[in-house]
Amino acid sequence: MDLSLSPAEREFRDAVRSWIEANHPGREPDSDAEVFEFRRAWQRALNERGWAGLSWPTEYGGAGATQVEQAIFFEEVARAGAPSLANVLGLAMGGPTVIAHGTEEQKQRYLPPILSADEIWCQGFSEPESGSDLASLKTRAVREGDEWVVTGQKVWTTYAHEAKWCMLVARTDQDAPKHRGLTYFLMDMEQDGVEVRPLVQITGEAEFNELFIEGARIPHENIVGGEGNGWPVAITTLMHERAGLAFALQVRVQVALRELREDIQAAGVADDPLIRQRFGRLYAEAQVLRLTAYRGLTRATPGPEGSLGKWHWAEVNQSLTELAMDVVPDDPRWQYRFLRARANSIEGGTTEILKNIVAERVLGLPRA
Amino acid sequence: MNFDLSDEQRTIKSTAREFLAARYPLAEVRRLALEEERAFTDAQWDEIVSLGWPDITELGTVELVVLAEELGYALAPTPLPSTWAAGLFGASGGRGALVVDGVAADAGYADVLVDWDGARVDGADVEPATSLDPTRRLFRVTGGTREPLGGDVERARLQVAVMNAADSVGVAERALEMAVAYAKERKQFGRAIGSYQAVSHACAQMLLEVEGARSAVYWAAWALDHEPETAPLATACAKAYASDAGRRVPRAALQVHGGIGFTWEHDLHFFLKRGEANAHTYGEASEHRERIAALNL
Repeated sequence: MDLSLSPAEREFRDAVRSWIEANHPGREPDSDAEVFEFRRAWQRALNERGWAGLSWPTEYGGAGATQVEQAIFFEEVARAGAPSLANVLGLAMGGPTVIAHGTEEQKQRYLPPILSADEIWCQGFSEPESGSDLASLKTRAVREGDEWVVTGQKVWTTYAHEAKWCMLVARTDQDAPKHRGLTYFLMDMEQDGVEVRPLVQITGEAEFNELFIEGARIPHENIVGGEGNGWPVAITTLMHERAGLAFALQVRVQVALRELREDIQAAGVADDPLIRQRFGRLYAEAQVLRLTAYRGLTRATPGPEGSLGKWHWAEVNQSLTELAMDVVPDDPRWQYRFLRARANSIEGGTTEILKNIVAERVLGLPRA
Repeated sequence: MNFDLSDEQRTIKSTAREFLAARYPLAEVRRLALEEERAFTDAQWDEIVSLGWPDITELGTVELVVLAEELGYALAPTPLPSTWAAGLFGASGGRGALVVDGVAADAGYADVLVDWDGARVDGADVEPATSLDPTRRLFRVTGGTREPLGGDVERARLQVAVMNAADSVGVAERALEMAVAYAKERKQFGRAIGSYQAVSHACAQMLLEVEGARSAVYWAAWALDHEPETAPLATACAKAYASDAGRRVPRAALQVHGGIGFTWEHDLHFFLKRGEANAHTYGEASEHRERIAALNL
């Protein structure tokens, strides 16, 4: 056991830190459209340095970094308040899925523009009738020659309005058992059969979209992982979502906790014993979240344990914003975070589904 | 950055797990707790001494935590933690006991007593006191003389807190295992109760707390050995979190067991009691949370 950074890791951290310092583009602009271009420029700068696909293999334009190096990178990004990356779904989920299940041609075709943010990715999994029960999804793809024709509806599609490619899971065999009749496609978003409508959420903004798909066409070669094999490929995407994003998210919790600490002092409630108890509890929880995330880094591929971290993160982030509401109820920044945090226990797998996964796949309890 | 135990630490863990499973099956734990006056025998103590376990603290706090966790997992009734505690405060030689607020576990048959301020206690009156946890005998210690031993008291306080937190991790892990095993085997309405989400989600919650407590305890132990400036904060986090896990998990495990878990003949209550007792040893969880606040606010 050694919880300090090795000399090589320290060197990497220093390199990241000084590079970010020299290249930090400043505060993100306020308007949605400007934010996106701002993040795209930041991703391109990182990609030129070789760090956009930090964890990807070097043969596909990545840096082949260890998981600890990725963790260090996230910590440094959060520490410096650097912007998010424009193509986060492509980098954290789409790319790793293509690397794991795609053909060599697909890797050559799709991976470089993910890194350069020339092609943005979105995720077409959830449907209005298929949330937690994802495998029951109804969006249908029917083969016509070398193409598949898709009809259906997707929802909660982040970045759909900016995206070139959609990780689309559709039903290709109506007669097969529900998990076996699915196929994973890469669907071109720039076509007539795809309509994107923004979905306004409780914060008042529209981070997500609804996707109406009416006769959209996908070439057969855009299947990832083989026809009828969509479920395990989709699981790969979800595991990367929970493991990869969870680490970045727990780092943000640490940053938010530091801000809350300052706000508690500024609000003059630092001597309130109830606030102190709640802060102490939250601080310990946040440390546990960080430590368990680090313990998970030694695993080679993301597994069901990632579900535990994502669920815990949602809980901690919600408690944090709840405490903030009691400390500075009128602060619009915390009001926004409090509202946004309500989705944490729903997005990327509800806490209830994650508990099912932990119970069944980690503890070996019988299926519900 | 690596959370894995070293080969040597892993060997300590597996050796302890095997030895304790062989010597302290739950029937023996029950016999010692309920029938043996001191809750251990001379032969058992001699064997522990021959293994060199009283000296494990010399190897490091992580090694100590590895072993302390196994004692909790086995629920072994032994004056070993008290001996470690006294040793960490600088009082060695035979069996030891640490007096905190006039109470000390295992003081009635200790060779050396030390208090929370790191002073050797001699000539004190030692009277049995009631204990919630039948695997650990408590004594009220009054009077006597105090002679400062000159050890690093601050560090010793942190170390015993982490040691006790590790015991809670072991207690909680075993209670979780028992709950999961029972949830797989017990059938109601024609199916295993573990297939009901009300039960399976409770088990998942227990896992979250056990693993979280373990993470925090190993962090604190490591910090005590390698990053002393972080140790006070890490210890406060570890003790607060593990104290809560050490009692919440057995409580939830009892609920999973239903009526059988409430019976004297079932072993679960020993875990419930030890976890609860640990939470009131070397500072309440709320005191450790206050310490976290004091270090931050």
